[in-house]
Amino acid sequence: MTAAYLLDLPRTDYSEALALQRAAVDARRSGRLDRDLVILLEHPPVFTLGRRGGRENLLISEAILQEKGIAIVPVERGGDITYHGPGQLVVYPLIDLTAARIKVVELVTAMETAMVRTAAQWGVSARGDTVHRGAWVGPRKLGSVGITVRRSVSFHGLALNVTTDRTPFTWINPCGIQSCEMTTLAREAGAAVSMETVRQQMVAHLGLLLDLTFERVSRDTLAPMVQEAA
Amino acid sequence: MKDIEELHFPEDIRYSQDHEWARPEGDLFVVGISDYAQDQLGDIVFVELPATGRTLTEGEDFGSVESVKAVSELLAPLAGEVVAVNAELEDQPEMVNSQPYKGGWMMKIKPANGADYDQLMDRDAYLNMLKG
Repeated sequence: MTAAYLLDLPRTDYSEALALQRAAVDARRSGRLDRDLVILLEHPPVFTLGRRGGRENLLISEAILQEKGIAIVPVERGGDITYHGPGQLVVYPLIDLTAARIKVVELVTAMETAMVRTAAQWGVSARGDTVHRGAWVGPRKLGSVGITVRRSVSFHGLALNVTTDRTPFTWINPCGIQSCEMTTLAREAGAAVSMETVRQQMVAHLGLLLDLTFERVSRDTLAPMVQEAA
Repeated sequence: MKDIEELHFPEDIRYSQDHEWARPEGDLFVVGISDYAQDQLGDIVFVELPATGRTLTEGEDFGSVESVKAVSELLAPLAGEVVAVNAELEDQPEMVNSQPYKGGWMMKIKPANGADYDQLMDRDAYLNMLKG
């Protein structure tokens, strides 16, 4: 087992979290950040576009989104357009893949498996998919994955719908697949699901799958190691 | 992941820390990613390359390769001007997996300083780095 940091954040603005991730990737590469880092959080409503775009998979006008105060942020991760919002657990594993001897595809599979195992703890039978990556319950998509590798360090990650409002997903072709219906853990379980418990389960599964033991840290603890660009 | 012994690392090219390679070709250098890098990534479905004429600094992000919902950034092993890119990768990105040193080449650059090449790792140094 390798020691890693775990940063468990409250709801955090997408752009703020992205700046933190980018700074932490630089710090990990240079060695100022001396361990891998896994960040858990939720975002306020936002759409993000993958490196190859995905604006054509937005089904409503950008003016309507502006009225609703929902931004569209282009990012460097793999994959197509997606939605993040309250009730969705987002996990960003910042891992030095060369040092950890983990292949990119193995990290993607581990993230799928962590979602599948978490779902199983709520009695929901989900599965990964080697073509349409993510966690699926029948034809419905429960969680998404999309990562970027910069100088051997991974960032971006997974998004598991726990109690997410599904309406914004109907405004896009999620993951660039037409008629891909999104679902949530609470809907599939047919019961109330505690985000706090899901967070704990997710951390336990990721630790086992990636062979990491976590030390919880605060942003203040990380700050001296991770200098964010002003 | 394959064992490093199963991967192929030609002697006639040099390697960067970020797993790109460079091969001299006249006044130019051909650039691609190593067998280790392609194996690490898995099946490549998309290759994004720079515009010709673009000037790159050493270590600059010049494009990306995408596999299984993962984008990996490509970093220039040498500073210089992009004079050609491998347009065949647009339709056949999988050539980066099958022929990382031949059909999977990515760009040709006119180096700002040809001596920079000597600063890159030879096969033995790169293998030592991979074996950690």
